[in-house]
Amino acid sequence: MAEVTSVAETRPSSHRFRRARNRVPVWHLIWLVLAALVFIVPIYSVVQFSLTGVQAGQSPFHWYLTVFDDPMFRSSFWLSIQISLETVAVSLVLMVPTVFWVHLRLPGLRPVMDLISILPFVVPPIVLVVGLLPFLEKITWLFVRPEVLSLIYVIFALPFLYRALDAGLRAIDLRTLVEAAESLGAKMPRTLLRVILPNLRAAIIGGSLLTVAIAMGEYTVASLLEFSTFSVYTYTIGTSTAYEGVALSFISFIFVWGAMLSLYLLGRGGRNAAAVAITH
Amino acid sequence: MATIELRGLRRTFGSVVALDNLDLDVHSGEFVSLLGPSGCGKTTALRIVAGFEWPDAGEVLVNGRDVLGQPANKRNMGMVFQAYSLFPNMTAQHNVEFGLRVRKESHEKRAKRARELLELVGLGTAMDRYPRQLSGGQQQRVALARSLAIEPSVLLLDEPLSALDAKVRVQLREEVRRVQLELGITTLYVTHDQEEALSISDRVAVMSDGRVEQFGTPAQIYNGPRTAFVANFVGTMNRLEGTVVSSEDRVVRCGPVMLSVPDPTFNHPAGETVELFVRPEDISLELLSNGNKPAPGLFDGRVTSLTFLGPVTRVGLATDLGPLLADVSSAVALDLAADTVVAVRLDSTALRSIAR
Amino acid sequence: MALAESGIQSAVLVGSAPRKRSRSRRWALLGVLPFFAYISIFLLIPTGELIVGAFRTANGAFTLSNLADIFHAPYPQAFEFSLELSALSAVMGGVLGFLVANAVLHHGVPRFIRPAFVSFSGMAANFAGVPLGFAYIATLGTLGVVTTFLQHLGLNIYPSFSLQGLFGCALVYMYFQLPLMILLMIPVIEGLRTEWRESASNLGASSFAFWRYVGLPVVTPSLLGLMVLLFGNAFSAYATAETLGVSNLVTIDIANLINGDIAVNPQDAYALALAMIVIIVITIIVYALLQRRASRWLR
Repeated sequence: MAEVTSVAETRPSSHRFRRARNRVPVWHLIWLVLAALVFIVPIYSVVQFSLTGVQAGQSPFHWYLTVFDDPMFRSSFWLSIQISLETVAVSLVLMVPTVFWVHLRLPGLRPVMDLISILPFVVPPIVLVVGLLPFLEKITWLFVRPEVLSLIYVIFALPFLYRALDAGLRAIDLRTLVEAAESLGAKMPRTLLRVILPNLRAAIIGGSLLTVAIAMGEYTVASLLEFSTFSVYTYTIGTSTAYEGVALSFISFIFVWGAMLSLYLLGRGGRNAAAVAITH
Repeated sequence: MATIELRGLRRTFGSVVALDNLDLDVHSGEFVSLLGPSGCGKTTALRIVAGFEWPDAGEVLVNGRDVLGQPANKRNMGMVFQAYSLFPNMTAQHNVEFGLRVRKESHEKRAKRARELLELVGLGTAMDRYPRQLSGGQQQRVALARSLAIEPSVLLLDEPLSALDAKVRVQLREEVRRVQLELGITTLYVTHDQEEALSISDRVAVMSDGRVEQFGTPAQIYNGPRTAFVANFVGTMNRLEGTVVSSEDRVVRCGPVMLSVPDPTFNHPAGETVELFVRPEDISLELLSNGNKPAPGLFDGRVTSLTFLGPVTRVGLATDLGPLLADVSSAVALDLAADTVVAVRLDSTALRSIAR
Repeated sequence: MALAESGIQSAVLVGSAPRKRSRSRRWALLGVLPFFAYISIFLLIPTGELIVGAFRTANGAFTLSNLADIFHAPYPQAFEFSLELSALSAVMGGVLGFLVANAVLHHGVPRFIRPAFVSFSGMAANFAGVPLGFAYIATLGTLGVVTTFLQHLGLNIYPSFSLQGLFGCALVYMYFQLPLMILLMIPVIEGLRTEWRESASNLGASSFAFWRYVGLPVVTPSLLGLMVLLFGNAFSAYATAETLGVSNLVTIDIANLINGDIAVNPQDAYALALAMIVIIVITIIVYALLQRRASRWLR
């Protein structure tokens, strides 16, 4: 009898204890909920806000419809898309061969590259504009073309693209790949295209998505050089009609969300720190 | 000092059975090793005792009292991990003092105890070093001292030497045993290294698939393996298959050779197939002069390989009983070469039989 | 011993064929020429330009008066607000980010929480600038959803609260500071070995004692380093604050000078920009020092 009770007591006690161990302390839950609120409340508010202030008889999506009808919306959106794609193209053409070459032939230059890749943080957009203006004012033909934004955004994208490419090249045995290709008679440009690029696919796509996110969201330089990009348009509209600005904010959110989600699905975990572009 | 009893421990991870009704008694002051291949459940058993894992069923009794209801930090057990367990932000001394610090012992008492223990493990001069300034062996010494500082009821060691160089490993295992004997502390030691287990334990529990295959003194385990698993896992064994010819006379026929098995535990009916095990060191070889037949009781074998192991040379033989390994003194082995035909003598007192 | 040997070997190797090597290296350097030319035109020369410009009058003569202007109204107030805002948002984001990263990694938390927080953080860290400003106007502006919700509860946050104020602005910055901290802190906390936690527990320490004696001391350099990074991140922000209508921020003063809005001395833009670079360089140096300190214990 005594034995039976002792066994009956032990088993639940050990079970109870395991459950107690796996129980998450309350304060952990508090922090998680708090962070979730910080993330979600503004988005909820954006959706809610953009559907209010509508007069009777109008569509609940009035502000979105108004914005879509504005020809400036379309032109600014397309301008930003165009600038983003140009930024990606220039960045890739400039960076991929360079980083590849440094890894292959000039590994001694890597510290220099690392240093240059943090310079855009040292010189934030607003500061860079101060230094660039005197130079740009001298070459007017470039100054008035929106392509100038792409050329500047390449600098902002540099740290992120460099890091993605650097990590991608570190992960593969570059020298062996190149030697194998050369021993099969491939010349260098062909090697770069056919052998290295496929191995860098993830790094290139990831870096490009971040570049797009940066170029789409950039406001500082675009507004100071007086180009009507999407974020400049959002600012202008929003300061006159807050509802429309908030609706545009939601459209930006969907855009960034899509870019980052594809980036996350592409990277699956790892390198999460690389997935941050700073566009304020 | 304390006793440890494991009663019917069962633990599954999904469909994998890590512990299958494990029972084990460790006497007070005893040094017991859990020996087995990776995945046999030995570490799970140790972690259950320490309080980092919980069984699905069963009990862990320390001094007769169930400890499963206590969290790890209330069990007062000392544990040494495989590696890298020292706190990187503390010197050796502060690492050792840690358990006393959380117990709010006085500064003087802590420092005194840390010095004593570090001297006990031979590191009296390295008290102010940080873990990264210590070698792997020294780190494990500090970890041992740290686990002893709290005057634990039992000492648990989870493969503490497996990350170290071979030479340090041998040196340190003797040190662990010396300290254990000096303090007389009940110790449970997990290892996959049979030489380690046999050389320092009072008793060894050989584990496989979550169960204890055999529990006994190193000599019992080495000389009298009771299951085929133990025979194969511990040391090197020659395995012969044979049929019992006579039960009373304990005669087994292996191929063309009749072997008498003096093992008193032999208890198999005639006609049964049994496995016989004999260690390489229990086989001796005699050189045959050209064309001679071996003497009665011996059989011939052809040398297939010679592996120099220092004082002895391990000789691979092809015989009528199948391939055999024999250890002979390296001086004797100088006369051997591949394809030399020799007379093989089995020390029949060393033969062990296990029913199939 | 092994090190010394390899050192000698490489010295011998370098000595054996110096000429050939340097020549092929010179050719190889041609390959990175376009990159360095680009960087020079769009980054290095403009930076040099503004550093020189800080010491020049509009006519190109040397002067220290631009730099001296930093200490005259309204700039000291702008620097004060910029620094306070950066510090507050760095501390808020840093502390909460640390707590969240630690909570996300707790073994009892459901599996899906981690990828959910990581992917959402990646998104949120990039949702900044103008859209973020409007998002918060929709949330906590005078007509914001949360503002009106609190009004229904009888809680009037205005006029004591304002999105242009220190706390309001820091709250907005949290939207990119917090996720950045979470992303960067997760690997740091993962660097705390299970063996350390288990050893501490085995030696009688509670979870609190583990954090007090081991966990916090080990992660503190990383924690401080990342907070310094957040500080720099907030310090160089412009678009978010501009959208919120913040008036006295260094970046906003620079923008106004560029636009010629308050053109007392347009050359002041160079001086302010230089001051910003100096402050950011200091934060990066402090960050690097703390990182080096952190790597002593972690990994």
